[in-house]
Amino acid sequence: MYKGVLEGVVLEIISRGETYGYEIAKKLHQMGFEGLAEQTVYALLLRLEKNRLVHITKKPSEMGPPRKFYRLNERGVEELAAFWARWDYLSGCIQNLRNSGRDDGDLQSGNQG
Amino acid sequence: MTFSQEIKDKMVQFAKEQSQYYLDEAEMTYLEKLRWKTGQTRSKIAAKLEKFKGRSETALEAQNDLLLYMSDYMKDLMEKGLSEEEAFERAKEELEYRSESERSADLHERFARYYEMRDPAEYEAIGLFYAGFLFFGVSIGALIGYLGGGGREMFLTDGWIDTAIGAAVGAVIGLGAGLISNAVIVLKKK
Repeated sequence: MYKGVLEGVVLEIISRGETYGYEIAKKLHQMGFEGLAEQTVYALLLRLEKNRLVHITKKPSEMGPPRKFYRLNERGVEELAAFWARWDYLSGCIQNLRNSGRDDGDLQSGNQG
Repeated sequence: MTFSQEIKDKMVQFAKEQSQYYLDEAEMTYLEKLRWKTGQTRSKIAAKLEKFKGRSETALEAQNDLLLYMSDYMKDLMEKGLSEEEAFERAKEELEYRSESERSADLHERFARYYEMRDPAEYEAIGLFYAGFLFFGVSIGALIGYLGGGGREMFLTDGWIDTAIGAAVGAVIGLGAGLISNAVIVLKKK
């Protein structure tokens, strides 16, 4: 269900301020993405990094290795804008379908009356 | 909250093993994944990945990212009341690499093969076989029923029922023959 959407959601979270891997996962859970596998966010962040959509700052961590903090770079901002454009188009189409279904239902019940 | 040395070692080992899989996944394009699955240019892709993994900095970074992600997750679980060992086992289970793309690549491959093998002419031939056998069956069955029932004189009284039965039996025989021809075409394709 989240396929194709999750990347946009994660980009949106990162766009709101510098954040790190597990913090993103926690935010997703708080937003209601409960069924999300723990490995998904880690894999997705690797992909974002590979596709050069994020700027990374390393900061010391208590575990030893430095922790990566993510911010959107220019490409990331463009990708996020493209995601929302796709989302608006798709949700518009779906809303139209839903409304037209209701109108048809109203017409049918109106005809019966 | 800190971890015991034993658990830390286990975490490092887990991150070292698993991060490689995630790294491969992130590095391969979808087409490469398909080719990888079908065995085409496997060595070429493997070489590319080896080169990528060979850059130890990238591999180490991915390993560290997973290690930190795992430790954050485990701390969260321990705050919820799980022991260190339980948290580790749970995190290990949750973070173990499971490739979604392998499954979708599999599916894509099967679809591709299906459409590659699909010949519209064959479907047309199967349809014609069905129709042909059905016409044959109905006409021959009806004729046998008509003649067996006593011909024209009897048909006008109660003999039509024999014709109808003959036609119905003929239709069933025709469908049966159609199914057999369908099976023959499918087997020939294998």
